[in-house]
Amino acid sequence: MSLNKTIKGLKTSFSKELSKSKTSQELENFRIKYLGRNGKLASLFEEFNKLPANEKPRFGKELNILKNQLTNLYQDALGNNNENSSSNDTDFSLPGYSLPNGSIHPLEQITSEIKSIFQSIGFSVAYGPEIDDDYHNFEALNVPKHHPARDMQDTFFVNPNAVLRTHTSNVQIHLMENQDPPLRHICCGRVFRNEAVSYKSFCLFNQVEGLVVNETSSFAEMKGTLEYFVREMFGKDTKMRFRPSYFPFTEPSAEVDIWNSKLDQWMEILGCGMVNPNVLSNVGYDNKKYQGFAFGMGIERIAMIKYGIKDIRLFYQNDKRFLEQF
Amino acid sequence: MKVSLNWLKRFVDFDLTATELAEKLTMRGFESEVVSDFDSLEHLVVGEVLKADKHPNADKLKLCSVLDGSGTYNVICGASNVDAGQKIVFAKVGAVLPGDFKIGKAKIRGIESFGMICSEKELGISEEHDGIMVLDESFKVGTPIREVLGPLFNAIDVEVTPDKAFGLSHRGIAREVAAIVGTKLKTPINSVKLNPQSKNIIKVELDKRGGCTRYIAGTMKGVKVGPSPKWLTEYLKSVGQKSINNLVDISNFMLLEIGHPTHIFDLKKFAKPAIKVSWAKNGEKFKALDEETYELSKDHLIITDTKNTVGLAGIMGGLDSSVTDATTEVLIESAYFDPVVIRKGSKKLNLLSEASRRFERGTDPNSAVEAFNMIVQLIQEVAQGTLESVITDECSMSLDNTYIDLSSEKLLKYAGQDIPSEEVESLLNGLQIDTKKTKTGWNCSIPTFRTDLIVETDLIEEVFRCYGYENIKSSFNYSSIMQYANDEESTISSLKHHLSSIGFRQSYNNSLEDFEEVKLFGKDAVSVINPSSEKMNAMRTTLHTGLLKNLDFNYRNGCSNTLIYEYGTIFEGKSDKLEDISQKSSLSCLVHGDIFVKNVHFNSIPASFAFLKGVAANIFEEKRLGFKVKFLEKKHHYCHPYFSIIDGKKQILGGIGIIKDSLLKQLDISHKHEVVVLDVDTEIFTDYGTYSTKVEDIVVFPIVQRDLNFKMDSSIRVGDVVKTMKSVNQSLLQNVTPVDIYQSEKDKSFKDVLFSLSFQSSKKTLEDNDVNLIITDIITIISKKFNAKLRDN
Repeated sequence: MSLNKTIKGLKTSFSKELSKSKTSQELENFRIKYLGRNGKLASLFEEFNKLPANEKPRFGKELNILKNQLTNLYQDALGNNNENSSSNDTDFSLPGYSLPNGSIHPLEQITSEIKSIFQSIGFSVAYGPEIDDDYHNFEALNVPKHHPARDMQDTFFVNPNAVLRTHTSNVQIHLMENQDPPLRHICCGRVFRNEAVSYKSFCLFNQVEGLVVNETSSFAEMKGTLEYFVREMFGKDTKMRFRPSYFPFTEPSAEVDIWNSKLDQWMEILGCGMVNPNVLSNVGYDNKKYQGFAFGMGIERIAMIKYGIKDIRLFYQNDKRFLEQF
Repeated sequence: MKVSLNWLKRFVDFDLTATELAEKLTMRGFESEVVSDFDSLEHLVVGEVLKADKHPNADKLKLCSVLDGSGTYNVICGASNVDAGQKIVFAKVGAVLPGDFKIGKAKIRGIESFGMICSEKELGISEEHDGIMVLDESFKVGTPIREVLGPLFNAIDVEVTPDKAFGLSHRGIAREVAAIVGTKLKTPINSVKLNPQSKNIIKVELDKRGGCTRYIAGTMKGVKVGPSPKWLTEYLKSVGQKSINNLVDISNFMLLEIGHPTHIFDLKKFAKPAIKVSWAKNGEKFKALDEETYELSKDHLIITDTKNTVGLAGIMGGLDSSVTDATTEVLIESAYFDPVVIRKGSKKLNLLSEASRRFERGTDPNSAVEAFNMIVQLIQEVAQGTLESVITDECSMSLDNTYIDLSSEKLLKYAGQDIPSEEVESLLNGLQIDTKKTKTGWNCSIPTFRTDLIVETDLIEEVFRCYGYENIKSSFNYSSIMQYANDEESTISSLKHHLSSIGFRQSYNNSLEDFEEVKLFGKDAVSVINPSSEKMNAMRTTLHTGLLKNLDFNYRNGCSNTLIYEYGTIFEGKSDKLEDISQKSSLSCLVHGDIFVKNVHFNSIPASFAFLKGVAANIFEEKRLGFKVKFLEKKHHYCHPYFSIIDGKKQILGGIGIIKDSLLKQLDISHKHEVVVLDVDTEIFTDYGTYSTKVEDIVVFPIVQRDLNFKMDSSIRVGDVVKTMKSVNQSLLQNVTPVDIYQSEKDKSFKDVLFSLSFQSSKKTLEDNDVNLIITDIITIISKKFNAKLRDN
């Protein structure tokens, strides 16, 4: 019976003394006194051992509960104490450190964004050679050798019959040569123009082009597709227009402008059109049966509009102070 | 092409401002910008200069007093030609000139100025800005400028795409305007009837090999070269052209009027009054009107007087046969030249002219007659010439309309919606294309001036653009379920993101490099035969070139710590054969300086070889291919040392190395630490992307750690020791990591290396004894092989 009383007494004194122990030293002394190897709790267990066998189960259970209670109370106090006092040990005002930041190039970010918009409606992504023959870059695309349309794209030549591609449309030809309709692809990559380097033009830029060929794709579908793209890319309320234009590889051709409310003017963002039947027959497609549309856009231009960049050369300078903004 | 609204009105009546017209043309495929729209200019009036005195504080400025009809204003003017009594264009305070140039009150050299006296350039009329524009005295002071200059100078700039050759004249644009406003074209040209006074015949001979299929010629005498009449100079001025003399002006006027180039020769300079069109001889010299001498080839079509070359057909006349102030007799040429011949010829000489621009796009053979007749008539009117010969018209081509069938089904299929039949007909008829109903659609008669309409889709485009793209309703049929879509490079994309997430910045560098620099990297560079600059005349053979330049650029701009990578195409091979050029995607990383700079928490951590080696191992092993990559030392052109990275199958995955100082010096790359590069073979990496992870059972038995500290010769490579240790027991010894290397300051010939070894069995908990046996073996082998001595811990 006396053990019962002792347990209660121990509980009371434990709580009282614990509440008075503040510093880590006090707490440690407290721990030794009560929970240490020769502490009060241990001596209780010693007494327990002397009990007759028939009383052992009952007290055993109670003692175990007591041990857990006391240990928990002590741990809580210790935790609290740490929360209160640890500010004395560590200076939390110091700046933190983390793994260094890297970045994805802005042009890559825009390309990825465009890719995923078109992938979400089932376009696959294809790539092709940056140096190609005249046929794939021009002739197959309905731009004959001595056609004024060649002036639209100033071309770098590697030899009289091989060029640095002036658009990614050469990939369209390679695609169509290697597979039958239906096709729904975008092609991405670098293209080259022999133009003077300035804040608004560089000797190369990145393009994303799309191609859809099947038996039914119409001008209406082209409009719907590109309206979806513009809304996803530039925001739901973007004002846009399709206006007639000319590209040798499409007919009818159009240019898409979006309204820039800051500058109060239309800005050209992409060219598009129904694939010219000559292009389809050049790759061996039956142009009476198949039709489709194609579109193309410059990534730099879109990035410049989106991020408010005024000098195209910044993209190729890789100034850390520029890159770290992305 | 600059188009004057006033000029258009010679052909068509319309009531649109320049701004409205530009907008309407743009939406029909003629992208247009307003050059000057006087209808939109406020606060501009006819003013009279009452006084023009020298500015008291400036020698070159004048202090003028300008009357605007109701009041008099002080205006400071910098033009030297300003004078009292002149009627001028007065921009009052509040006016906004073209180019968003706002006129406000201004204090110039201490005196207030209330407005501006305008030059032609400021009004957008011409490039003339040396002096102010002086108006006709008859204009009443105070009249709004829009009433005075608007009718003459309202103009737009039309961008004519290469297909629409017919748009390169005022008549061509007027046809489009007539279709827009739904009216018919007036015909001020065809009424001309010529009445030759003489029976002289100019013999014209065309070359049988083609090139020229119509040539109209005639001669005139009694021509008086002199200044042009006011109406002619005003028309030219309205599109920004200067008057030269009556003959040149007539030629220029006709070109802009109906778009058919003509040429006027001085007949007295001909060996005889005859024309022979033929092909030049290789190497033949020709002195053109621009006073340059060109070397011709057999691809050049030339005009001769049967003896001497008098013109480069369709491109430029000869200097020797050109009209001068003394010219009295002329031969007039109006011809049709083959577009490809002209294009080839002009490209070859890099000689472009207003004539070649039109011929290479295709001209209307019927316009050749109209142009000829008008030139003759104008010379009669303006330069007093009389027709001296019968008109010769050598023609070997069809002058009839062509016909194209347009199927209504195809139109529907292309549009994706119905466009009513009556609408289609009226749109085409508006373009002077006659339509005849057939069973399947229409048979369309194409006038000869529409050289761009050849196949059915050409007509579909005409219908669409006139119907208005905005009127074709869009449709969106993609199902909400994601359809099959892939990206060949999605594995690479995750690699890029991995690198960027551990601190690398992605670069995009120019693919065009300086051949001399590319050469230093030791591979055959593909060169460009027509570079825009010598600094960009070869394709990069490695991404290192660009990355090194990025390091240099950023170093010079105060940032020496560089972790960058690029993914892109590199090129190699001989330029003359496309098949021999290799074009390969590649990924390279470059590090220099520190990953972490020193801070309160720890010392700096260098972006060293070891770091990049860890990155390399990581990006491959992260794929869980069940092997560790190995690094094999190799010789390299500009790296030392350099290691190939190989996988379990001895396949080369990439390489890592330190750039030699000699290369850094040659390229003048600023740096202060070692520059380490890593290349990843992206093709193999992409293959790895298809590898699917196989999960292994987790080993539940504990790992036993033991440390061994060996003293060994400093020259021994720790990696070799690790390799030997691993080879002792491959089933239980899981890993060996060198943890510490110590060298005493006194004796550098030895080092202490502390290795941490971990043992684990997949079958049971290891006992001390199991491990001790292996440890004993290891100690024996290492001591012997490396002459190393185990140290007590």
